[in-house]
Amino acid sequence: MKSNIVIATKDLNLWYGDKQALENIDMSVREKSVTALIGPSGCGKSTLIRVFNRMNDIIDGCRIEGKVFFRGNDIYDPSEDVMELRSAIGMIFQKPNPFPKPIFENIAYGPRVHGINSKKKLEKIVEKCLKQAALWDEVNDWLGDTAMGLSGGQQQRLCIARALAIEPEIILMDEPTSSLDPLATSKIEDLIYELKEKYTVIIVTHNMQQAARVSDYTGFMYLGELIEFGETKQIFENPKEELTERYITGRFG
Amino acid sequence: MSFLAPSKLSRKKRGEGTLTEWVIEKLLFISAIFSVLVVFFILVFLFGKGYQIFEEVTLWEFLTGDKWDPVGQNIEEKPYYGAHPLIMGTLLVTLGAMAFAIPLGIGSAIFISEIAPPRIRDFLKTGTELLAGIPSVVYGLFGLIILTRWLQINFDKPTGETWLAGSILLGIMALPTIISVAEDAISSVGKELKEGSLALGATKWQTITKVIIPSSISGITAAVILGMGRAVGETMAVMMVTGNTPIVPEPITNVFASVKTLTGALGIEMGEAPVNSPHQHALFALAVVLFVIVLSINAGAMIIMKRIKERHYGIAGKKKGSRVLPEPIKNFTDSIKNFTGPIKRHMDTILGIFAGIILIWLLTSWFGIPMGLVIFFMVIGIHFFSQSLSPKNYQTMALGMVTLSIIIVLFLLGALLYYITAEGIHALSWEFLTESPRNCGREGGIYPAIIGTLYLTLGAIILAVPLGVGAGIYISEYAKETRVLKIIRAGIDNLNGTPSIVFGLFGYAFLVLYLGLGVSMIAGQITLALMVLPTIIRTTEEALKAVPHTLREGSLALGATKWETTRRVVLPPSMPGIITGIILSIGRAAGETAPIMFTAVVFSQPGLPNDPSDPVMALPYYILEMSMNIPGGQGNAAGAALVLLLLVLSFYLLAALIRKRFEKALKGFR
Amino acid sequence: MKPIENFKWIVPVFFAIILAASVFAGCTDDDDEETIDIKGSTTVLPIADLAAEKYMDEHDDVAITVSGGGSSVGVTAVADGTADIGMASRGLKDSEKEKYPDLKEIVIARDGIALIIHKSNNITALSQEEIRGIYNGTYTNWKELGGPDKDIVVVGRDSASGTREFFWKHVMKKEEFVEGMLEKNSNGAVHETVKGTEGAIGYVGLGYVDDQVKAVKIKNEGEEVEPTVQNVKDGKYPISRNLHFVTNGDATGLAKKFIDFVLSPEGQKIVEDEGFVPL
Repeated sequence: MKSNIVIATKDLNLWYGDKQALENIDMSVREKSVTALIGPSGCGKSTLIRVFNRMNDIIDGCRIEGKVFFRGNDIYDPSEDVMELRSAIGMIFQKPNPFPKPIFENIAYGPRVHGINSKKKLEKIVEKCLKQAALWDEVNDWLGDTAMGLSGGQQQRLCIARALAIEPEIILMDEPTSSLDPLATSKIEDLIYELKEKYTVIIVTHNMQQAARVSDYTGFMYLGELIEFGETKQIFENPKEELTERYITGRFG
Repeated sequence: MSFLAPSKLSRKKRGEGTLTEWVIEKLLFISAIFSVLVVFFILVFLFGKGYQIFEEVTLWEFLTGDKWDPVGQNIEEKPYYGAHPLIMGTLLVTLGAMAFAIPLGIGSAIFISEIAPPRIRDFLKTGTELLAGIPSVVYGLFGLIILTRWLQINFDKPTGETWLAGSILLGIMALPTIISVAEDAISSVGKELKEGSLALGATKWQTITKVIIPSSISGITAAVILGMGRAVGETMAVMMVTGNTPIVPEPITNVFASVKTLTGALGIEMGEAPVNSPHQHALFALAVVLFVIVLSINAGAMIIMKRIKERHYGIAGKKKGSRVLPEPIKNFTDSIKNFTGPIKRHMDTILGIFAGIILIWLLTSWFGIPMGLVIFFMVIGIHFFSQSLSPKNYQTMALGMVTLSIIIVLFLLGALLYYITAEGIHALSWEFLTESPRNCGREGGIYPAIIGTLYLTLGAIILAVPLGVGAGIYISEYAKETRVLKIIRAGIDNLNGTPSIVFGLFGYAFLVLYLGLGVSMIAGQITLALMVLPTIIRTTEEALKAVPHTLREGSLALGATKWETTRRVVLPPSMPGIITGIILSIGRAAGETAPIMFTAVVFSQPGLPNDPSDPVMALPYYILEMSMNIPGGQGNAAGAALVLLLLVLSFYLLAALIRKRFEKALKGFR
Repeated sequence: MKPIENFKWIVPVFFAIILAASVFAGCTDDDDEETIDIKGSTTVLPIADLAAEKYMDEHDDVAITVSGGGSSVGVTAVADGTADIGMASRGLKDSEKEKYPDLKEIVIARDGIALIIHKSNNITALSQEEIRGIYNGTYTNWKELGGPDKDIVVVGRDSASGTREFFWKHVMKKEEFVEGMLEKNSNGAVHETVKGTEGAIGYVGLGYVDDQVKAVKIKNEGEEVEPTVQNVKDGKYPISRNLHFVTNGDATGLAKKFIDFVLSPEGQKIVEDEGFVPL
């Protein structure tokens, strides 16, 4: 399990207005692994993964100090191109958010905004991504139908396929299964397991079993601080911090 | 305490409770169906008066005849009732207004909802709403004195009173409607869709054009349609600037031709046409035509929006194998698909070529053939140049255009406010506000007109609020998606699109003449109440719908009845929306001229009306008469216009304040 | 719910406004007063309004309401009893006489119709034939009449107007108006357009002649006659018409007293002050 670090934060602090949401986060994520962030609600774990693709930029009054390195560059450097960054880092949201467009167009959206317009290329990409997201068999006859007609689990897999279509290096997942039923959840979890072959996955979850099941590394956050970070096995079986142990054993949170 | 004992909480006896519920539901239903009745009555009364013209001419002659000379001022002294030039006038002016207002309006809406920092957002929203608060008479004066002169000088034409002037003025008047409705639609697109697009590396502009606008297209369409309805029905302003020449422009693209619109003909000629003369019948028939145009715009809008919704949110039932067609029919539809397939695929190209041809035609007819072609190729050049830009540079350019559109809108607002203030400020004084007019209004004040306007608007609101809020509650809380609801909705939509002059004619024909109320305050109040009713219904419905469903379920689960739930749980958080709607209605009612012109107002009367059967003075009508029919009355007309504007604006400001306070109070709640 | 409590003050504010208004209104309430309504032509309106103001100054217990709407509205209102006196800038039409045989018309003043042009136009006088030529489209440029090289912008009144009807009968000799004529719905609007349009010509009542526009003299029997009250009174200025009050049967009571007042020297003074021609 020794591989390169793809993204890392150094002395990261983040404020929403006057309220500090992240405090002195130092964390490194390894290539082609699954990293889970756990912690009680409001601990800052969603805020943290939104730091990685600069989605906090669109929130008014958000201020950041410290550095975030991706491929060796500080992504908060003024010369950094946000669009390029985001096309290298895909994101899956808490609630499935397909566009109210046909299934095909949902997946073709990313390639299109990056300048791919050839129908043939798009068809190939759509097929490839739907297959990767294990959705192809369910929808291949219905590519022209609106994505809003799919079930929640299908929608979420569609969103994953949509993110894959821009060929990202990292995929961020913000509680991707919190609105899904157990069956749909397990399908997504299987998918995450497969995705790690080619991508680096960072997943926020408040379901500890899920973290234990899918991740290689786990970070435990509490009140905006990263309390403990390490290999999942170690965190769950032998936590170093008392706070982590108490959370994992269910004594609070 | 035992759980089995009859609960002390059930204060009421069962039967009593359900009876109250039943009565309330029926009352609400009646207020909802009221709009349908009004639309029906309007049609019946206009038609009842209008159809008599067909004793003089045939329907075909009426609609297609190209000479409008209802008093027969020609050698043979034979009247002509050809409405074709007037219908064309209305259509052309409206079309021009839309060409002007749609890009500006949607551009501004995008700027306000997606680009402006939150601090400026409120300012811009209030600013554009102020445009809606300016009374149409004031628009008319501005158009006549500033706009037409500007056009005349800048385009070196004999006169500026043209189709173009009408279109620009109506465009400005339609802007607030388009901006606010489109802005609502755009801001209501979920944050998650925006984030989904941005997270894929799309630029802000790509997100706006490819996700946000398509997702809010039905709301934007509604905005355009509502704006169009406002433009089609506007009377006072348009009749002051279009020149009122009842001929079809020659050639038809000549925007510098003078035209006469349907509303212009109604507003100008109604007072002079002898009662029950063929001329008056012809005017009522024009009103029917106008009404039919508005109805078809609304119907068209509904069909378009339904289509769009279906395309976006496709019906879930349409899934696999749910629609099994018999084999021959399937073959047939397949063969149609094969045939139309290529057309569909090349739709963009076909539309592009079509648009190009129209553009060439318009440009060459406006600027002559060589100049027109040069401009055309410049446009094409810019188009292809912008295609070659990187998404980022394209975004910069596009955002520049959007910013420009809001700047234009603000400039127009500023020009209007400056004009009214500069003209009217000299007349303002304490005496002007508190005294009666003397010397035909050239001296003294406008106190009775101010009070008359307050009486009229408050009376209208008192009549309209119970009906409007009741109807809103019924539609949002009680109605099921049935045919009846569809009819009610259609009734409200049509009432909303009904031109104010049509309300005026209906009030005149039904209230003043048929019911024998005479020209009286009550007739004016009822007419205005009907006019603002749809606004109140809509805002109430919207406000109620915004209350989360879980709240209702929470209350119902505690055993509260439907009405109790509505009254105690649903209504309180939606009060800001409802009150905003009511106050905006007050503003609208205060500034309108056409509905009260034939129903309620007099030029002068001693003192104030004693009871509702007395006529009243009112500011908008007073301004019209002072500026148009009293030599030397312009100074005080401008003063009265300023007072009316301040009055209306203070209502709007009140609405904005209330909305703000409520929003703060409810912040944690939503 | 808290929010609604915050806004209880709205109701008192509304009532306060209404109450304040009624207190002011209370000052003039008087049920014993005699009232009449006057309605009709906007041309005649200033005369009636000023006369009413004066009459009410002199008599405490009367209330006179004046409203516009147009000659036809006035005639109809008198006929169906919703007004006591109608104002008309034209005589009763045959159809009206037929329908309401009891209507009586009383001439209260004369109104000269002036032709006005833009101040920059060097034309000073036109004959009635030339005016007709302008309004029927024979002349389209001022240079044909010795003026500047400018297209003529013909401004007239709307087709329902009494002023236009008069103009059509007496100046146009019932010829048809040129197609592109701008139609304005009031004297003020005609004045406003002519004031701002270099090539324009329009016709308005004498009261609207001021220094913002140029009034054209009329060539009449070798003379150039200026449109003034005096010239109309002397019968020198040819384009003038009568203004009327209309009553249903012979006027009685206050209506009669008011009409007598308008016809009295004091009333005719108002007529002259407003730019109309006394009888």
